[in-house]
Amino acid sequence: MANPVQSQEVDPDTLRKHLAVAVRSIQWSYAIFWSLSKTQQGVLQWGNGYYNGDIKTRKTVQAMELKADKIGLQRSVQLRELYEFLLEGEIDQNKRPSAALSPEDLSDAEWYYLVCMSFVFNPGQGLPGRALANNETIWLCNAHYADSKVFSRSLLAKSASIQTVVCFPYLGGVIELGVTELVPEDPNLPQHIKASLLDMSKPVCSGKSSPPHNADDDIDPICVKVDQEVVETLDLENLYSHREEMKIGPEEGIEELHANIPEDFTIGSPDECSNGCEHHCHTEDSLMFEGLNGVGSQVQSWHFMDDDCSNGAHNTINSSDCISGEEKAPISSPKQGSVNHFHVELGSLDLGVDDDLHYKKTLSVILKCSNRLTEIPGLHTIGHKSGFVSWKKGGMGNGYRPRWPQSILKKILVAVPIMHGGRSLGFQKDSGKKHYLEKLENDDNIPKEHENFRENEKFLVLKAMVPSISEIDKASILNDTIKYLKELEARVEELESCMDSADFETRPRRNYLDIVEETSDNYENRKTENAKKCWINKRKASDFDENYETDTEVNRAVLRDSLISDLKVSIKEQEVLIEMKCPYREYILLDIMEAINNLHLDAHTVQSSALDGILMLTLKSKFRGTAIAPARMIKQALQKVAGKC
Amino acid sequence: MENSTQESHLRPDNSVTYESPYPLYAMAFSSTPSRILHHGQRIALGSFIEDYNNRVDIVSFDPETLLIKPHPNLSVEHPYPPTKLMFHPNRKSSTSDLLASSGDYLRLWEVRDSSIEPLSVLNNSKTSEFCAPLTSFDWNDIEPKRIGTSSIDTTCTIWDIEKGAVETQLIAHDKEVYDIAWGEARVFASVSADGSVRIFDLRDKEHSTIIYESPQPDTPLLRLAWNKQDLRYMATILMDSNKVVILDIRSPTMPVAELERHRASVNAIAWAPQSYRHICSAGDDTQALIWELPTVAGPNGIDPMSMYSAGSEINQLQWSAAQPDWIAVAFSNKMQLLKV
Repeated sequence: MANPVQSQEVDPDTLRKHLAVAVRSIQWSYAIFWSLSKTQQGVLQWGNGYYNGDIKTRKTVQAMELKADKIGLQRSVQLRELYEFLLEGEIDQNKRPSAALSPEDLSDAEWYYLVCMSFVFNPGQGLPGRALANNETIWLCNAHYADSKVFSRSLLAKSASIQTVVCFPYLGGVIELGVTELVPEDPNLPQHIKASLLDMSKPVCSGKSSPPHNADDDIDPICVKVDQEVVETLDLENLYSHREEMKIGPEEGIEELHANIPEDFTIGSPDECSNGCEHHCHTEDSLMFEGLNGVGSQVQSWHFMDDDCSNGAHNTINSSDCISGEEKAPISSPKQGSVNHFHVELGSLDLGVDDDLHYKKTLSVILKCSNRLTEIPGLHTIGHKSGFVSWKKGGMGNGYRPRWPQSILKKILVAVPIMHGGRSLGFQKDSGKKHYLEKLENDDNIPKEHENFRENEKFLVLKAMVPSISEIDKASILNDTIKYLKELEARVEELESCMDSADFETRPRRNYLDIVEETSDNYENRKTENAKKCWINKRKASDFDENYETDTEVNRAVLRDSLISDLKVSIKEQEVLIEMKCPYREYILLDIMEAINNLHLDAHTVQSSALDGILMLTLKSKFRGTAIAPARMIKQALQKVAGKC
Repeated sequence: MENSTQESHLRPDNSVTYESPYPLYAMAFSSTPSRILHHGQRIALGSFIEDYNNRVDIVSFDPETLLIKPHPNLSVEHPYPPTKLMFHPNRKSSTSDLLASSGDYLRLWEVRDSSIEPLSVLNNSKTSEFCAPLTSFDWNDIEPKRIGTSSIDTTCTIWDIEKGAVETQLIAHDKEVYDIAWGEARVFASVSADGSVRIFDLRDKEHSTIIYESPQPDTPLLRLAWNKQDLRYMATILMDSNKVVILDIRSPTMPVAELERHRASVNAIAWAPQSYRHICSAGDDTQALIWELPTVAGPNGIDPMSMYSAGSEINQLQWSAAQPDWIAVAFSNKMQLLKV
């Protein structure tokens, strides 16, 4: 396992046990031993590990009474087995023992642990890489918020809530410990772990008689597979650094993507390299990971070589590509130069999606189902037995087109839901008014479905606009709309009475009321109708009253406009200056003085002149006490006075 | 209007027709392989009568003898037309099958050889009076306990049918949601009257990705189909449009292809269950077209591979993995199975 030159041989089983003891003693979530790869100088990969965190679903063969440590060991072994199984890609459930784990049995932290198995670090890269290169302990707090350059698995850690990660070199490799809590840096901890490990490892190493664990055998072929790719990884890294420069408006999520991929890529293996590998057929399955990076013309073109690919494999990869496809996009889009819009979309995805990228990669293994059939040759050539004919340009002679496109589909989507609301389509036949129709054809045979579709759509729009509507049947939508409109009008009136209500404002409202009245005709809502009519009549009456006033009505209209602009109220500390022009009437001055008085103002200087029925007034006053009326209030009061005829 | 050349092409060995007493819309193939059932492949047919009384019938199709056999006792009443029917995606048992229908609520039925019983009505509304009718639903084939429904109240509801409870309900769009399709165990996409295709991941319910928006704003997208063989690709159809839009989820907003050879608007689309590159579409021009998506599109657009002309507008299309050699089309009162 470890490089014999640099360190001692340690039996993996034993090492796991030691890691177990070590991590349990400090009650952390996991311990990983990153060992140096055999073939590639200085590269760190998964060596051994012990998982001590939360477990979602326990799976044991029988109800065996196991001690806590045995359970933990068994779990770690099971996780490793699951990882290898996923890597192989065989979805042959029969070969697996019944108590084997499946992906849905894992908690988030277990997933994190499992996915860590796929990571490989170059010298000086990543937390373990740096720890080994500098031969120092690295303690990372808030690992889940760390920058990807510092800690490449930070997003993964976020999903698993791993908050603290510690790496320190040991025995030619790196031991990594992680925990789901935030633990402040404690320099004693690595010492403590080392000590406990050293203590244990001595007696075992001297007499290594136990047969190598199965895991060892399994690890080897995978190591072989993986190492060959490390060369590629280095190239990819260079490529990635270029790509990162090309990015416009970098977002952390995308940087994560780019950073993650060189490391993750090592799981896959292009078919050229792994010829000797036993898992040949499975390497094609693991080609899915290639889809991640989309790097290199060989990969790109490979995606398009559909016909040349062997049965099933291509399909499987494609289906797995789908999920990891999200990663492909940011990489291929810089190529096409259309980075911007995708970045925007990715931005809207938020980091949450990127969290799952690695997750999804692993999922993609699961999802490519090995029972995808090959392409049926019959689809390429239409046999004589087919019900279909070959397509000809120019097609069939008949340009058959129904009057109302997609009528049944539209009915299913719009009319049927309305039907459930309590009214059948027959209802529409009674309605004489066709306000909502956009086109009105001359002949009366407009199929009900088309106009109904539009009408129903409009009803739904109305429902969306009026907040109080809860039902979807038409009568109640309209009733609620009428109520809402009344409420709105009452409110408008109220607001208007605070300001000067000008004549011109009532007119548009009246028209609006007409429309409502018209539609309410259709529904037997006599009361509303009548109420409306009365209201309208009242309005008309008041208009009439005003119209019947003296011939100074025109003047008055003009004055009303000017009144609004000719009222000036300026407040300076306690002094209030009022200038106004308004139509003169008897006792108006008295009213004004009263109004001023009511506002706690003492008028001390009054200048007024009445000319042609118009009063011009300049009034200086002082606030009586501390209560100060705002200018608006004063204006309102005065306008009221002036407005009274 | 039947074209004589097409008619002569139809022979008893390449098409089977079933004539129903009422117009049909919803159709579904059972996933139980036909060889283990003594009557043949079960097909559920939903009627389209613009009235309260509608029916769901089960018929059997035997691909050996090429006969469709109706079962009078395998017929239930359904309030208003069912907007979609679907069988359980992984049923291996020959004795009972599970059928789901959407309308006012999501209903589950147990289909046995000689009877069909209502199993449950999944209703999420808090008040007893009002429900949000469902426009469509999809049964997750990786996690068969999960059904996602789309509704006109702009939400999508994910049901756990084993517990009979709502797993989650998301406000998916700004307007009515018209269709929903599962991609993975926890990922689904939906289309809506607001003209967008959005992908949702149940692990991150706060966010969704818009992968396509109709070019004219607010043109509703009516149907969605996710390619189960190659999850990168989806197809959708717009309202009043003769185009089938093929989307690649890796490159949002830009469709991969627009298949524009129908002469009238498209009503239904279905990806081939056994090939990742083939898709079938049917429309108001009475045609069903099978397309093969090339790796590189020609300058004039993509031409279909083959076509079929029916007697009237084709409203529904089903291409099931249980019978990959047969495509089912529904037009007016007829259901026709065409050999591919």
